[in-house]
Amino acid sequence: MHIDLKKEIKESGPGKTGLTILLVMIVVALLAPVLAHYDPYQQSAWSLLPPSLSHWLGMNHVGQDIWSRLVFGARTSLLVGFGVGILSTLLGTIFGVSAALIGGLYEKVVMRIVDAFIIIPMVIIIILVAAYIRPSILTLILLLSLLSWQGGARIMRAQALSLKERGHVSAARSFGAHHFYIAWRHIVPDLGPILLVDFIYSVRRAVFMEAGLAFLGITDPTVVSWGMMMRDALSFSYLNVWQWWLVPTGIALSLTIVGLTFIGHAAEPVIEPRLRGTEIA
Amino acid sequence: MLEIKDLRVSYGQDIILNRIDLEVEAGETLAIVGESGTGKTTLGLSIMRLVEGTVQGTIRFNGKDLLELPDREMQRIRWKQIAMVFQNVNNVLNPVYTVLNQVMEPIIEHGLKSREEAQDRATELLNYFGLPQNRFSAYPHQLSSGEQQRALIAMALANDPELLILDEPLSSLDAATRAEVRELLKKTGKDRTSLVFTHDLDTASKLADRIAVLYGGKIMEMGRCQDVLSRPRHPYTRALIRAYPNMTTVKDLQGIKGRMSRPVSGCPFHPRCTQVIDVCGRETPQLLSGQGRCIACHRGGIITLLSTNDLTKSFGSRKVVDSVNLYIEAGETLALVGQSGSGKTTLAKTIMGIYQTTQGAVYLEDVKVNIRGKDFYKKVQMIFQNPGESLSHRLSVLEAVMEPLDVQGIGTKEEREHKAMRVLGEAELPQTSDFLNKYPHQLSSGEIQRAAIARAMVLDPELLIADEPTTFLDASVQAKILKLLLNLQEQRGLSMLFITHDIAAARKVSDRIAVMLDGKIIEEGAASEVVTAPKQAYTKSLLKAASALHVMEPEFHSSQHV
Repeated sequence: MHIDLKKEIKESGPGKTGLTILLVMIVVALLAPVLAHYDPYQQSAWSLLPPSLSHWLGMNHVGQDIWSRLVFGARTSLLVGFGVGILSTLLGTIFGVSAALIGGLYEKVVMRIVDAFIIIPMVIIIILVAAYIRPSILTLILLLSLLSWQGGARIMRAQALSLKERGHVSAARSFGAHHFYIAWRHIVPDLGPILLVDFIYSVRRAVFMEAGLAFLGITDPTVVSWGMMMRDALSFSYLNVWQWWLVPTGIALSLTIVGLTFIGHAAEPVIEPRLRGTEIA
Repeated sequence: MLEIKDLRVSYGQDIILNRIDLEVEAGETLAIVGESGTGKTTLGLSIMRLVEGTVQGTIRFNGKDLLELPDREMQRIRWKQIAMVFQNVNNVLNPVYTVLNQVMEPIIEHGLKSREEAQDRATELLNYFGLPQNRFSAYPHQLSSGEQQRALIAMALANDPELLILDEPLSSLDAATRAEVRELLKKTGKDRTSLVFTHDLDTASKLADRIAVLYGGKIMEMGRCQDVLSRPRHPYTRALIRAYPNMTTVKDLQGIKGRMSRPVSGCPFHPRCTQVIDVCGRETPQLLSGQGRCIACHRGGIITLLSTNDLTKSFGSRKVVDSVNLYIEAGETLALVGQSGSGKTTLAKTIMGIYQTTQGAVYLEDVKVNIRGKDFYKKVQMIFQNPGESLSHRLSVLEAVMEPLDVQGIGTKEEREHKAMRVLGEAELPQTSDFLNKYPHQLSSGEIQRAAIARAMVLDPELLIADEPTTFLDASVQAKILKLLLNLQEQRGLSMLFITHDIAAARKVSDRIAVMLDGKIIEEGAASEVVTAPKQAYTKSLLKAASALHVMEPEFHSSQHV
């Protein structure tokens, strides 16, 4: 289990690229108030202005600074992404590891629920639910998490099943340790790299989903989001505003997702060492 | 014929004998064994009424209470009806008389025979006991200790006493002489009532019908000689037998922890015992008889620590462990021997509760184990087959050894550390901070095994299940680990289930051996018996395949020289 995730990512070209992109996005999101010159929600009379020195990407249809909205949109994207990543990985770990350790009926029930969720097309459910409750960012995170931990849980369970047969786990049990102790001290630490891969993929999925839902217009309209910006821009596609409105937003979203994909791809051999292919030889 | 009741002898504050009850029937030989200082000689001297301390109780000899008799009457009995062969220390024989004169002395003293008759009798006896004719007129200091011993025996038999008391009669003799004198004693003692006081189990077993084990002035166990020696039921008797070098036992010699002391209260053996409970330190146990054996133990003798009843473990339809019935007594080692795949490890893991039992049950101290909680694991610990794997690669040595204490929630962090350090010391590992912070992959295989042993010992378990503890080790390291386990057993009274495929190693560490084949126990018995007289063909084949150094193989020599 001595796989060095950092090394794994750093040694792959796409991995490095992905990390750089993600870091840039995080910095942008964190420094949004500094980078943006205007309040992204502040409307004005100057709608649909082309880029200028004061408004780098021009103004949108209600006179909001597009650059500022783009920068603040990164915050929403990453917040939802990381929120869902953390929550769904946590849920996946809890259910996967506990199913593996406790076994019996509990394991059967949990795993059948997981199967059920995996079969049901998640996107449709989210769209339906989101359209009905119009989720705020927090509810959106919860909703996406609840619907996306199952894949992780499967992997965690499989891994925990193999880990729990290890000598040191048997030894810990022979001291009278309970499931929680074993999970915490002996299983989860060895899941580390897999947790990270699962986390990265959850983040990516959540970023994509958030943008998609916003694009469909079923998220909180008061929060600036890349998906929503693209939707707004699309309705003015007959004008040339798409050049500085739609394209930069699309690029920002794509870059984020591509970055996450690169990191995930570089880290994937952790889950499946055969993916290393000929690199080892 | 001789009946001792409630005998108590003390010198000032020191109680030497504490409530001794004994009966010797006419013609019987009773051996009283025990370490030096347990009061053997004092008991002999009390019967002779030669003891200087305070004597209480009754000693009935042919119905008369010797302790009540007036001195004159006692003198008539002494040397005439009851005679004693004193322990041969240098000043027993009077240095100014010749040997012959000394043997004659009790005969003349009692006025039974004329001087000539007495001389004839003495000559006859000395001849009988093999003292050369030309030594008869020698003075004691001119005799070897063997010759002195022969003279002492002759002296005791001079008046043909009814009761003969022998105090370490053979201890000063070499093995060959000992055998010779022993045979003579056996012949003369055939119809004579005798009491043999000895620390030598061999002498006791060869001379006596019954044996009484004395410790700290108290009889611990008494019964037929063969029964007691082949299946001791008192922890002290077993310890004594383990410490005794002989040709029968195959297990390595083991001492008894601690030193003999005379505790103020409770069982005299409790400071050194392997199965002490509270009451042992408070009350003196009574000598109770049952099943042809008398035992003075609050726990009724050696207890059965763990037993299995038809324990079965199946994987699917395959019975890997099939109706296993085993027991492990407190303080003993049971070796479970069998080839790989015979179900040894599965049995161990089923006992530990790592595998669910399919059928049957495990009993801990005769109580059925239903749920294995922390209590169970505090008493039963296991060393796993692959010690490297059984230590988490994420824990340092100190963390790993402390882990059982963490799990059980015992003590504060400092106490845990302290305890971990102590067991590391017991496992002969360094306690430097450099070593404590090492991770398993930085240790040698011997160190890893020691760390695993230390970890298993940190909860002070009563039973240690050691699954192939030496398989991955070199012979030299293996020897050290086995010695370590034996030492732990000696110091802590640990019981062990020693799982191995190596019957050669098993015989050196175990009291009993159980042979496992295809999930079943096919043979079980004392290690010496299983090794020397195996009943099953499979056991024979195991023994045949076991390592041996055939340096002196006769076939080898003959084939070379023909």
